[in-house]
Amino acid sequence: MILPRFDVLVPETVDEACTMLSDHADEGVRLLAGGTDLLVDLRRPIIPQHVPRCDGCTTHPEGRVLSTIECAPSDSDPLMASGGSIRTALEGPRHAAPAFLVSLHKLDQLRGIERLADGGLRIGALTSISEIERSPDVREGWTALAEGADSLGSPLVRNRGTLGGNIANARPAADMAVPTIALGGTLTLKGSSGTCDIPAKDFPRGPGLSVIKQDEILTDIHYPSPVPYSGSAYYKLANRKALEISTVGVAVWLALKEPGGPVADVQVALGAVGPVPILAESVREALIGKVPNEKTLLQAAQAARGDARPIDDHRGSAWYRVQMVEQLTLRLLRTVLKRIRDSK
Amino acid sequence: MKKIVSVTVNGVLHELAIEPRRTLLELLREDLGLTGTKKGCGIGDCGTCTVLLDGVATFSCLTLAIQADGCSVETVEGLAEDGKLNRLQQAFVDHGAIQCGFCSPGMLMTATELLRRSDNPNEQDIRRAISGNLCRCTGYQKIVEAIKAASEDTS
Ligand SMILES: Cc1cc2nc3c(=O)[nH]c(=O)nc-3n(C[C@H](O)[C@H](O)[C@H](O)COP(=O)(O)OP(=O)(O)OC[C@H]3O[C@@H](n4cnc5c(N)ncnc54)[C@H](O)[C@@H]3O)c2cc1C
Ligand code: FES
Ligand code: FES
Repeated sequence: MILPRFDVLVPETVDEACTMLSDHADEGVRLLAGGTDLLVDLRRPIIPQHVPRCDGCTTHPEGRVLSTIECAPSDSDPLMASGGSIRTALEGPRHAAPAFLVSLHKLDQLRGIERLADGGLRIGALTSISEIERSPDVREGWTALAEGADSLGSPLVRNRGTLGGNIANARPAADMAVPTIALGGTLTLKGSSGTCDIPAKDFPRGPGLSVIKQDEILTDIHYPSPVPYSGSAYYKLANRKALEISTVGVAVWLALKEPGGPVADVQVALGAVGPVPILAESVREALIGKVPNEKTLLQAAQAARGDARPIDDHRGSAWYRVQMVEQLTLRLLRTVLKRIRDSK
Repeated sequence: MKKIVSVTVNGVLHELAIEPRRTLLELLREDLGLTGTKKGCGIGDCGTCTVLLDGVATFSCLTLAIQADGCSVETVEGLAEDGKLNRLQQAFVDHGAIQCGFCSPGMLMTATELLRRSDNPNEQDIRRAISGNLCRCTGYQKIVEAIKAASEDTS
């Protein structure tokens, strides 16, 4: 169970890290942040449930195909240009280990939580989940993200794991990615040819797959300023309270036009019920402009259910998961409305 | 090719040439002979390899030795004071919080971090803090009691 052979490069600047990523592209190179996903994937598979985290597994030709997942069409990604299905190998040989890891641990400029002048929030990609969990700013203004942090892994995983790693790893159940999408987060990607900002919802393209380019690094995650009469919440449904991947995760962000008044805007993100975290667009159609009451909330929750595309696996059946999407969306909409009322 | 790593372990500075793929756990156990820190799962699930890395409870099995370069590491061997068990260790003994003892080094380090961060943790805080440290013997109750007692004993 020792790690495979690789060399570790330690850049002092983000630019240097980008150069290392492009220089060693042919030999295989991966970024290392907290290592709580990557180093697990690099160890020999002893427990099958740890195998699918390796993104190489999704495409390895010799991998045994255990499930097929439908994927959304994408213009930017040739692999998925036609939509259709990606084969996911849950067992079998894996990609050769990368020859190089670029460890970000000296890049303190990628750490920290900062309130911006416009009321928004900027979190460096290398910020630990624990720091986010303990930040009063995050809990007050971006509650769903704090609740994602509360629910992730265990204290030891949170001390080591980073926000950037959770998002960049592009797993459908990622407990920080799901709230980030509901909160309208934007990711800043820096590469040798420049910097670009993309909405968090457009980042993942399939389990372990994303739009990130070979030489790009996720540097910051930006969350917009809370608007009046708005709030958010995240709930992770799992078999245990710690050390468990979600069976279903739901994040809700909602804003009212005025206290008690119609819904101005709403975003519901669903985790672990599709190949990527899903932004439930139908909820917007069902709820925006309506006065929230038990009838309209139920309609919104049913709309969310319609947007889920789960598979059966050892954590839960597809049937169970869609029921839970409806129930959790309903509950979280109520929770958020109560939070908005209480914060007046 | 080996890389030079310098780490301060329990107050003593060590400079070692180490293969990049080796973990902090391997550095401690194999290079420094500090076998108090245990290896259980090797993938972040059990917490028995927990050490404090610059004061933060960290699983040493998923931390490369290189990532600890320039850092200060505390292990279970560093807890005793003047050759005597410290307050927390003694509380574990007194409350029967140790059976086979395999989880104890990690449990003690996680509890050390908790007690430094909050002087009066309640039972829920303690249970949450140790939720990444598995114990197959005690059923946790006695461990929780020991940590609580240590937090209350200010002598
Ligand atoms: C025991 C255990 C329990 C866990 N439980 C949960 C859980 O409950 N919920 C959950 O969501 N996750 C869980 N995880 C997964 C993991 O801890 C999180 O996803 C964590 O946030 C990953 O961050 P990291 O810094 O450790 O990532 P790493 O492992 O360092 O990196 C992950 C991937 O992202 C890439 N990457 C990292 N940083 C960047 C960057 N800045 N730019 C571009 N690419 C980057 C890496 O190359 C790698 O491919 C668990 C892991 C373990 C070991
Ligand atoms: S050996 Fe490190 S967590 Fe189990
Ligand atoms: S005392 Fe045996 S595992 Fe905890």
